Amino acid sequence: MKRLTAYIALMVTSVLILVLSLMPDSPFNEINWALLSVLIVGIAILMFFISFEKRSVDPKEMALIATMASLAGISRIPFAAIMSVQPTTFIVMITGYVFGGQTGFITGAVAALVSNFFLGQGPWTPWQMFCWGFCGLLAGFIGKFSNNFNHKAFAVLAFVCGYLFGWAMNIWHWVGFVYPLTIKTFIATYLASFPFDTLHAVGNVVFSIVFGKSFYLILTRFKRRLHVNKERL
Amino acid sequence: MIPLYREKDNLIYKLHPFTIAFFIFAIFFLSLIFTHPVYLLSLLAVVFILIVDSGNFKEWKGYLKIAIPLVLIIIIINALFVRVGSTVIYSGPRLPFIGKVRITLEALAYGAGMGVRLMTIISIFCFYTYTVQPDRFMKLFSRFGNKTVFIVTLSIRLFPLMISDYRRIMEVQRCRGVKIDSGGFRNRIKNTFPIVSVLLLSSLERSFQQAESMYARGYGSGKRTVYNRELWRIRDYMIITMTVIAIIAGVASYIKGFGTYSYYPVLTHFDISEFNLLYIVITALIFPAILDWGWKKWPILKLKI
Repeated sequence: MKRLTAYIALMVTSVLILVLSLMPDSPFNEINWALLSVLIVGIAILMFFISFEKRSVDPKEMALIATMASLAGISRIPFAAIMSVQPTTFIVMITGYVFGGQTGFITGAVAALVSNFFLGQGPWTPWQMFCWGFCGLLAGFIGKFSNNFNHKAFAVLAFVCGYLFGWAMNIWHWVGFVYPLTIKTFIATYLASFPFDTLHAVGNVVFSIVFGKSFYLILTRFKRRLHVNKERL
Repeated sequence: MIPLYREKDNLIYKLHPFTIAFFIFAIFFLSLIFTHPVYLLSLLAVVFILIVDSGNFKEWKGYLKIAIPLVLIIIIINALFVRVGSTVIYSGPRLPFIGKVRITLEALAYGAGMGVRLMTIISIFCFYTYTVQPDRFMKLFSRFGNKTVFIVTLSIRLFPLMISDYRRIMEVQRCRGVKIDSGGFRNRIKNTFPIVSVLLLSSLERSFQQAESMYARGYGSGKRTVYNRELWRIRDYMIITMTVIAIIAGVASYIKGFGTYSYYPVLTHFDISEFNLLYIVITALIFPAILDWGWKKWPILKLKI
């Protein structure tokens, strides 16, 4: 809970600085956003990983996260030619949906990091780590409320995540390379990415309709095997 | 198509992973704080020299395919939407949403400057991809979080394994007469479906076996020991010192206002005295390439450092 509070505080501060920087007379007007935004995202990811380190995790869960992350990362490769359509978001989300938000976040972040070792690291890596992690986190959140696979809710969330992913990724593009940082250039950057985001969102929905149920069943089977209750034996 | 780390025979590959990561971080940091076109261009030149020197020019050319469209997008967005500049080159008809088209020299120059920045960043990450071995780099962090590092190294290792698994399952399916490469789109998806399920099932099964073997070997039962250590050599200290000098000079030039350049409202002229600190930055950053040149020329240097 403490970490969640710190996390929210970080987000509020960064939004506050953003708002201040838009006002002409504040001292934050000339701040180097390209640098600061990378820093904020880096800290946000770091906090998730620190809380993961603090928790006692058994080897089974670690091996499972690594497997799902590399599966999600691999699924980017055959689709690298068609930009923005890939099952990675779906795999991260279904992992989060079944195993909870934190596992989902770590899976997404590791998937982005590892697949970029093969596809090329870049300043986009922390952003992708954050975005995919966040998709996993959101899916984990809705996964809490259903005992069965709610394919409608999942597909809707997958659709939304497609857009959220693109919108968050646009921020680094806008902050780093566009000047002045006004509403107009902001909207322009977002309009430019709109077709790609739509493709991503539609792809997510298709993947979750085609693979959703069977992935859910396989993963829940392994989830049950993950924790053996010794008293019931 | 997939970029792969391959060890080559030069100094860059014989450094401690921290040294090379720190060096790359320094260039990334400097390229973000500078806005002056000359500073950015010289950073790009430094990166280019290092890429050629480490023998990765061919790989870098592949990166251009991604980089050039991105640079063009940046220039176009800046030229179309920014109307702070005062030197109008072209003023055109009214368009929906954008308003009146008014392309200014300043916006074009800013777009070009930011294009150079993006090129530098992409090139330095290309340099990173080809010169830093992921496992050695990840081991740097194992002191702080060995669970995370373990997960990352395990997934790096699983990557090629899963690809070969996928091929194996494909072959089995083909032998059974399942048509994966021919037939309609719908049919192909229907036939790929079991492959993905089998891949998921078998890799999860393997992950549990792996975890059980880890448990049997007592993973996490005590303090973590280290299997192999990276050596710190004189060359690492030399390069780190030079990088620190470059960062200090770069930050100093940023504070003094040399490294920044105001594109708006009118492009300002700059004089040569602004570049005094830049010479230090460049010399310090190019040092690994010079050292590598000396290393190839005099074998005695290879022995000593």
